[in-house]
Amino acid sequence: MKSTMALIFVVIVIALAGFFIYNNSGDVSGDVVNDGDSGDAQKVVIGLKDGNYYPQEIRVKAGQAVEVSLDSSVVGCYRSFNIKQLGVSKYLKTPSDSVIFTPKDKGSYRFACSMGMGTGTLIVE
Amino acid sequence: MSFKQFIREMNGNRVEGELIHTFLYSLITGVIIYLAIFMINKDLVREYNLYLFLAILTYSLLTLTLRQVRAYKHFNCMAGMMIGMTAGMIAGFLPGFYVGATNGMFIGGVFGMAIGILFGIWNGKCCGVMGIMEGIMAGFMGGWMGAMTAVMLFNDHLIWATYIVTGVSWVIMFLLNYMIYFEMKESERAYHESHGIGILFSALLTLLTILLIAFGPRSALFG
Repeated sequence: MKSTMALIFVVIVIALAGFFIYNNSGDVSGDVVNDGDSGDAQKVVIGLKDGNYYPQEIRVKAGQAVEVSLDSSVVGCYRSFNIKQLGVSKYLKTPSDSVIFTPKDKGSYRFACSMGMGTGTLIVE
Repeated sequence: MSFKQFIREMNGNRVEGELIHTFLYSLITGVIIYLAIFMINKDLVREYNLYLFLAILTYSLLTLTLRQVRAYKHFNCMAGMMIGMTAGMIAGFLPGFYVGATNGMFIGGVFGMAIGILFGIWNGKCCGVMGIMEGIMAGFMGGWMGAMTAVMLFNDHLIWATYIVTGVSWVIMFLLNYMIYFEMKESERAYHESHGIGILFSALLTLLTILLIAFGPRSALFG
């Protein structure tokens, strides 16, 4: 097989594989912000203690909106708050900034800063 | 111009004339393995399809350098060190970046470092211990840097950054193929081999990457 023919096959394989993979992809974005209505939200304020988020364990009710904010003790990249399993990811620049989301399923979800240095657990009951 | 000659040789009788075939066979191998796993459980790695697709393409591209270096076998020190460094760095950085973006910094760094060092040694040994050392150092650095870059971009434009670092790395790898041709165009080929090693290399890495992304440990950031 000549290289030109092989090159045509390469382009075809890449196009077909790319099309298949693109059509069967889940969410690959790391930029999701799951904001909602703050009306009856369960308010959670997280601080910083011993180099990690405090409290380490937060309990909320399933099916009800949760509003998370970070107080002024939280600095640097710790202000980038993420719960990957719930699609929550937001940089909370000031203590008045918050992220609102509604956890539908009961369970235990890890929250972390964007580099995974500060961590904790959100327990949905 | 030797670059035009290089492009012409990609359709010629030297090892450069086999590179597109090598890429094609490695690519098909990677895609078949991905599809086989997709048929078994389509939700296993669905969320990370983009990284897997790019990883399969990257592994196929890495086999080109491997084939070219093995064909000429012996290089002078400067060329060999450049080969070991570039191959080790890219082979460490991209797998580290992809696994870092899906599983976190630890597993991404370790995986990238392992692949980078392996590939750096394999290619760098064409000029002896200096190339091997260069390959080890580049693989070590590349693996951890790739994973760290991906994790630090998590709250930024990670997807765009993925395309950019992948595109730049692919151009560098292609230019490395050109550099090898440029250095060795007056030399005869020293070693003939089938496409088996490239296919095996691509298959093992694709399988390992899929298994790591699906079942490997994850940092707290990834739940």
